[in-house]
Amino acid sequence: MSNNEILKPGVYYLQGAQACFEGAIMAGCRVYAGYPITPATEIMEHAAHRLPRLGGRFIQMEDEISSASVLVGASWAGAKAMTATSSPGFSLMQEVISFAIMTETPLVIVDVQRPGPGQGYITTGQEDVMQARWGHHGEGSIIALSPASVQDMFEFTIEAFNLAERWRTPVLVMAEETVAHMRERLIVPPLDTIPIVNRTKPQDMGIASEHYLPYGHAQVPPMATWGEGYNINHVSLVHHEDGNVTRYSPTVHVENVARIHRKIEGNVDAIARIETRELEGCRHVLICYGSVSRTGIEAVLEARAERGIPIGFIRLHTLWPFPEKQLRDLLPDVDVIFVPEMNLGMMAHPIMEALRDRCRRMVSIPSLGSLHSPEMILARIYEELQ
Amino acid sequence: MKKHPMLKYLKEEGPAGPRLPLIMCPGCGAGQVLNYALHAVDTLLQEDALRKEDFVFISGVGCSSRLASHYLNFDSGWTLHGRALSVATGALLANPRLRIVVLTGDGDAAAIGGNHFIHTCRRNMDMTILCMNNGLYGMTGGQVAPTTPIGKTTTTTPYGNVEDEFDLCRLAQTAGATYVARWTTAHPHQVIKSIIKGVRKKGTAFIEILSQCPVHLKTSPVEMFRNMKKITVPLKKSAAGPVEGKIPVGEFCDIKKPDWIERYQNIMDQLSE
Amino acid sequence: MTRHQRFEIRIAGFGGQGVVTIGRILGTAFSVYGGQNSVNTQSYGPESRGGACRSEVVVSEGDINYPYVRNADVLIALSQVALDTYIGELKEGGILVFDPDAVTRIPPAGGYLRYAVPTVALAHETGDLKYQNAVALGALYALIRNRIEEAPLVKALRQSVPPKTINTNMAAFDKGKRYVQSHFSREA
Repeated sequence: MSNNEILKPGVYYLQGAQACFEGAIMAGCRVYAGYPITPATEIMEHAAHRLPRLGGRFIQMEDEISSASVLVGASWAGAKAMTATSSPGFSLMQEVISFAIMTETPLVIVDVQRPGPGQGYITTGQEDVMQARWGHHGEGSIIALSPASVQDMFEFTIEAFNLAERWRTPVLVMAEETVAHMRERLIVPPLDTIPIVNRTKPQDMGIASEHYLPYGHAQVPPMATWGEGYNINHVSLVHHEDGNVTRYSPTVHVENVARIHRKIEGNVDAIARIETRELEGCRHVLICYGSVSRTGIEAVLEARAERGIPIGFIRLHTLWPFPEKQLRDLLPDVDVIFVPEMNLGMMAHPIMEALRDRCRRMVSIPSLGSLHSPEMILARIYEELQ
Repeated sequence: MKKHPMLKYLKEEGPAGPRLPLIMCPGCGAGQVLNYALHAVDTLLQEDALRKEDFVFISGVGCSSRLASHYLNFDSGWTLHGRALSVATGALLANPRLRIVVLTGDGDAAAIGGNHFIHTCRRNMDMTILCMNNGLYGMTGGQVAPTTPIGKTTTTTPYGNVEDEFDLCRLAQTAGATYVARWTTAHPHQVIKSIIKGVRKKGTAFIEILSQCPVHLKTSPVEMFRNMKKITVPLKKSAAGPVEGKIPVGEFCDIKKPDWIERYQNIMDQLSE
Repeated sequence: MTRHQRFEIRIAGFGGQGVVTIGRILGTAFSVYGGQNSVNTQSYGPESRGGACRSEVVVSEGDINYPYVRNADVLIALSQVALDTYIGELKEGGILVFDPDAVTRIPPAGGYLRYAVPTVALAHETGDLKYQNAVALGALYALIRNRIEEAPLVKALRQSVPPKTINTNMAAFDKGKRYVQSHFSREA
């Protein structure tokens, strides 16, 4: 892609890493700041090649903390900005994420997960999925997506930017080494079929500078851009609608933080997506996310075809906000819920919380450091159901 | 009563109520630095082809950083402890036309922010950094800082500091900043002139301003202010060698070097041919 | 829902033998120019200790779910370690391509078809050891002509190598192809 254009509609054969950043470009991302870390480095290198050709700017920073901080400043100055890291770097970024939540700053962080704790290893994993929701200090929620293919890396990154702009929030793309390094077909559709969302600015709502409330006017406040005369003071201390940080009261505190929390958690239906297959008449179900979905669906189809087991398939496209109500609405009462994850059981907890009364039991199927093989999952299914 | 001429650049009131007075302690040097900075901006708005909306004030966390919290009638960002320079870098990458003034303190810039300080200077990122150095951590109650002199007693060095202090200007200069100056709150005209120079100049301008913290140093602000002239010596006079017990003030360097944006822009221009 | 047949290729050897490139070329050939679907992966796992490197291509007319090889149809083994590690997962009736100068011990059982192709020697004949992977690719093509046509494979090869080396890579590809055609009467 040594040209100065965004991808034209057509069929490409790309690594997930490349598809991810091509999606970012498509969404309008023109600032990237990052730090090298296996297995996310390919995304950064692709950004370094592409951005200056498209009028964007790329910078390699001195660490992950400054990389994430760059995104905040870029977003306040009007740009769509992104970084990609892996698990250890993701830990470093948590304070900045917390800050972005409080200041309601759109930005996208891709976490190409690898095993931990510590340096862990450089293969694949899903060990950060809880950290995605709870790693930032303080209240306030977040949006996290879980891609499973090269096509997803493209589409979900575009969607991440759209969600960030729509809800004025940081959005996480929780990828894994598996999906970042695999090569598959990417189909780019006609560009006018790809929805791109941009933040609402006070100008869009006819609000002049003297009447502008930086954290007011709507549940998702219109966002002023630096340099356009709105004199916006970004603050992360508990604040009034007008940005005042001195007139503190418990009422103001609750109003501020509860609104930010509700902005995401109260709009789960609009934000979260779930994919289902073979649910009709099923007596058991397999619930999974990310790359594990590739193995999960293979196992489900084989169990059904080879042994006639009435097992259905659910894939979470969105990990957070957790789509509890949607899951409950989708699922009939079942015997066994199987939850394969590349960790020792993390999403299994909110899944169990949501569906405890809808199943006889839940079986967690862990794998550390490598993608489950269909045999691994099938062996567990057959063992449980015989 | 006549209004302070710089009040036009502050937000006195808002729908949630008054924002002034500043939360700074009486006699704190930060208020003076704010005054000087606004005078500099005022001059720039009159003399240069700059508009008010071109200016952005970005701060970290600490007493000095509070200046950019909610008082300024400019675009501003009150960011994370130590990370103001990185946020500023991001803003520049998105819109290189912005004239960024960073308000920071010695702990914010040189301790937690130390790594970003070094690299910002190395990159010669186009911004003007005002580092209010009071030689300690003020907001949290007077702990030792990388700029606290050896032997000093603070809340975390109750038996005396066992560490030597940074020379922030030498650090900035070595790291690659292209305009470096040190003054004190008792040098108003020099501070204003340096800020004007820094904003006009492309590249990293680092201006250290020794600033009094009368509360934690338990000295009257008047006495501290008077001492500023006593404990400092003009740079020229210390050219032959350090003057015992005195801190050199002046312009340490003022060199011409392309800034990061200019260098990257060259690449962008080449690729678009 | 129809579960499409998968055709699974695994290439293994040492780092530096062009194992990953072979996989990428095959994937591109099948998916971009060959009108099929494929997933190409490579391993960063414990196999890299001891220098081992692995690349896989799973091909299908329809969706590919599990992205890795379950039961290989083809194994290209360019080192003894590679063969030792992966011969057990080559299906009966599958194709084994190996370099007899590097791979000297092959388990007798298994029911797979063996093709000894001196990829290193043929690469040297072409000009340099680095063309070993193009030789292997040409040899493989001669054995799976019912799966992919030459044109898409050649197109993928040409776009995947530095422009100055295209001609030599093509010569190496041809050498590998002709070696198989002349030495083995039976093709897949």
